[in-house]
Amino acid sequence: MYDAIVVGGRCAGASTALLLARQGHRVLVVDRSSFPSDVISTHFLWPHGMSYLNRWGLLDQVTAVTPTHTVIDIVNDGIPLSGSVPTSLLREHFRDLHGDDSGVVQSYASVRRRVLDQILVEAAAKAGAEVRTHCTVRELITEDGRVVGVRGRAADGQEFEERARIVVGADGRNSFVARTLDLPRFDERPRCTFAYWSYWSGFDPGRGQIHRRGRLGCAVVPTNFGQNMVLVWGPSEWAREFRADVPGNVQRALDFVSPELGELVRTQGTREERIYGTLDQSGFLRPLHGPGWVLVGDAESAKDQCTAIGMTHAFRDAELASAALHRWLTGESSLDEAMAAYEGRRRSQNSAAYYDYVCTLSEMRPYRHDELQLFVALRGNQEETDRFIATHADIAPVSEFFQASNLFLLNDAAKESSAGYSVFDDFAATSRTYQQNLFA
Amino acid sequence: MPHQGAETVTSTDLHQRDDGELIEAILDAAGRGDVETMAREAAEVSEMTRNWATHIPWDDLATLDASGADGELARVVADLTEMWEPAHLRNPVDPDEEYALDKNAYDFYRPAGRDLLARTEDFYDWVQARRRTETWQYSRVLEAAPDSVAEITNDLGKRTRGINFNSQDYLSFNTHPAIREAAVRAMRDYGPHSAGSPMVLGNTRISDELEVALGELVGLEHVTLFPTGWSAGFGAIVGLVRQSDHVVIDRLAHSCLQQGARAATRNVVRYEHLNVEAVRQHLADIRSHDSRNGILVVTDGLFSVDADWPDLVTLQRVCREHDATLLVDVAHDLGSMGPGGTGVLGMQNLLGEIDIVMGAFSKTFCSNGGFVASRSPALKQYVKMFSNSHFFSNALSPVQTAVVREAARIIRSPEGDELRARLFTAIHALRDELTGRGLTCMGEPSPIVPLLIGNEKLARTANRLLFDRGVLAFMVEFPVTPTGSSRFRLQVQAGHRPEEAREAARIIEGAIADSRAYLSSAFGSAAR
Repeated sequence: MYDAIVVGGRCAGASTALLLARQGHRVLVVDRSSFPSDVISTHFLWPHGMSYLNRWGLLDQVTAVTPTHTVIDIVNDGIPLSGSVPTSLLREHFRDLHGDDSGVVQSYASVRRRVLDQILVEAAAKAGAEVRTHCTVRELITEDGRVVGVRGRAADGQEFEERARIVVGADGRNSFVARTLDLPRFDERPRCTFAYWSYWSGFDPGRGQIHRRGRLGCAVVPTNFGQNMVLVWGPSEWAREFRADVPGNVQRALDFVSPELGELVRTQGTREERIYGTLDQSGFLRPLHGPGWVLVGDAESAKDQCTAIGMTHAFRDAELASAALHRWLTGESSLDEAMAAYEGRRRSQNSAAYYDYVCTLSEMRPYRHDELQLFVALRGNQEETDRFIATHADIAPVSEFFQASNLFLLNDAAKESSAGYSVFDDFAATSRTYQQNLFA
Repeated sequence: MPHQGAETVTSTDLHQRDDGELIEAILDAAGRGDVETMAREAAEVSEMTRNWATHIPWDDLATLDASGADGELARVVADLTEMWEPAHLRNPVDPDEEYALDKNAYDFYRPAGRDLLARTEDFYDWVQARRRTETWQYSRVLEAAPDSVAEITNDLGKRTRGINFNSQDYLSFNTHPAIREAAVRAMRDYGPHSAGSPMVLGNTRISDELEVALGELVGLEHVTLFPTGWSAGFGAIVGLVRQSDHVVIDRLAHSCLQQGARAATRNVVRYEHLNVEAVRQHLADIRSHDSRNGILVVTDGLFSVDADWPDLVTLQRVCREHDATLLVDVAHDLGSMGPGGTGVLGMQNLLGEIDIVMGAFSKTFCSNGGFVASRSPALKQYVKMFSNSHFFSNALSPVQTAVVREAARIIRSPEGDELRARLFTAIHALRDELTGRGLTCMGEPSPIVPLLIGNEKLARTANRLLFDRGVLAFMVEFPVTPTGSSRFRLQVQAGHRPEEAREAARIIEGAIADSRAYLSSAFGSAAR
């Protein structure tokens, strides 16, 4: 009999298991893969994601093999902004969410999952969690309507059965736990992006860059093994046409969104793996908890990749859920109270506003005139640029940046005008061309 | 599954087909019932995708029943199809409703193009979508005097009757016989028109009496009248503050004050709502590098969006310590709360103590108009001359002036106390019933009861239902509130019976629950 069985041993699951085990609870974590192992992912950890690793004592292990940076470039229709997330906002974020602002760092990184997930499962095992890999859960055991354990097949092919006081579903967007419990989906936002990416060696982009033009985006971030992850994305309505020539269209998208990056990849880059892609990205929420079970990570709230926030959010859930479960397991609170506290954080106004922000962005509508003007107004205003980046990454609340009096003040304080940016020359005509599918 | 570190990636990996192509081939084979081909194609699917789509039995496709008798093949096909061509690409939704609910007014704040007339069209398209989907909360019209119940028509011409929390008439003066009588008398004596600027010949003897009455109410004897509350706030700031001066303003202060600050100077600091300590720091900061210019600190008394108020005692002291001047907007609290109707100032024992007080008549005093008051005759003359919204506007009409004067008399009389007691009975009934039903009323008991909703879509949908179910409530969203924290602003009147308030609370709760179900939303309204 375990205190908790965690189904899924990656960002959400291994972290939850690690934190529970460190607090002395008996934890079993199972995953169908054996590590190291890859999975579809942006690999991206924003500074709060890195801060979680630091709080758990794992950051050095990651940065020993992974390049990190603090300043990020965000270029929208040729309007460049560079900045980093201020420590003060990071601290405020952790205080608000966890009541404790220790261990914040300003760096971000792109970490291959075959690197990161192995570090996480090993840390969970070292903390005392029992880790079973290559182990597939095939059934939830329920008694009187309550989940009390799991049955499945272990690495050696043997059937197994284990019981616990709580089962944690940390098994991703296509969660087995959620599907088996037949959980509904809430707040569905079907419009999303398609994304294609691979890993290139042979050039150094200096630091992470995110570019947008029209309905397309691309990003490059240095990652492990001396390679760069290069990612392109666009509206899912264009995915069918994109698929007709994947390698050609990856280059076409790069050339369109950032000719400089396109040139760099074409002339100096060597692709090291096949091109991967997905459009299984629509946003939805599931119920967070029920009798004998609780969900963390993508399983509870799946969002589009366009803000690269999934792994960081998985870490956040691990801290929130493990803290709540700890209070219950030690008898400090009832399970209902503990879960209500978790739910309060995860289904708050701030969460809703950020969810809406990501889902709206993922529709990949061309930036409107006023949005591009805002980016121009941010040029030379480093404090507000940094706050915009922190808002984009769900560190500062959306409601504080996108507030009328703030936006008016940004306008008034603008140091640059739109005159220097060609996108404003004949904006209406440019917008119309942006609506045409580049790959048709 | 074999381990696959970077060093094991080979050139064959490089040229393998991408997963989209493989899934298409699997679906194609499934259509022919060819499970062997399905399994063969699946073997090539990347580790990335296998570990993502854990619900697909990638390794067991060959064992599927090709006849489809057990339904497993169909389930796999459905799951793969959802990954390969999601449902929304197959089933489009109502574009009007999606467009109406997914945008904010601010999305149209900076339209493109040099044709000022043509570039308003995008916004108008959105307004039309909001109208068609009955989610446009603006431009409703009254069919009769707005009492505790009102009959209104929305701008599609649809009529309804409901319990009215949509009017600003906190002491129900609009139907008060003495108020109406005062209006009739002024009409008879002076006619409907003031016929000039207050600087020229727009004022009457009633204007002088009103200035005296207001001066007594706030304890500041030098009062200037403005034709609207908005122009009083805007005018007070632009009248006093020059380009090298500073404005330190509460983030949530009223629009007329924010706009006044922007118009007066670029040196504007917005401080965290109600945070007096933040004001102290900003003032120390400004004074550390500028000892020569003025600083105006600006706040509301009762904040209309959050129903709370600052610690004005400390705020006024902090201002004096830094040679800053304090301006307080008492539009919502003066007359409707506090001892003898003295509002937040009276509640904090500050009558006669604040540097500058401005207010509006439109909430409690039953008319357009506003005022600026201080203890300084010099300030009064300066504001009259340099606040353009005073000098260059036609004065309050004689009828309006007389109504406000009569309202000020009643507010300070025993009848005023009685009306405020009735108002607060209704306020408590409404707040208690809403809170008891698990909803969140923000702030403190006051004539404004902000009911927190959060998500704009939920608020717009609930507002549509309330209209049909007989509650008139004003929904506020961005830019009045920050993005993602929309709310209903329920404006209570002395004329509301407690049972009306409780009935409205029941209807509101039902509308929110039904909207949540309609949108299938899991979000609550806790702030963080």
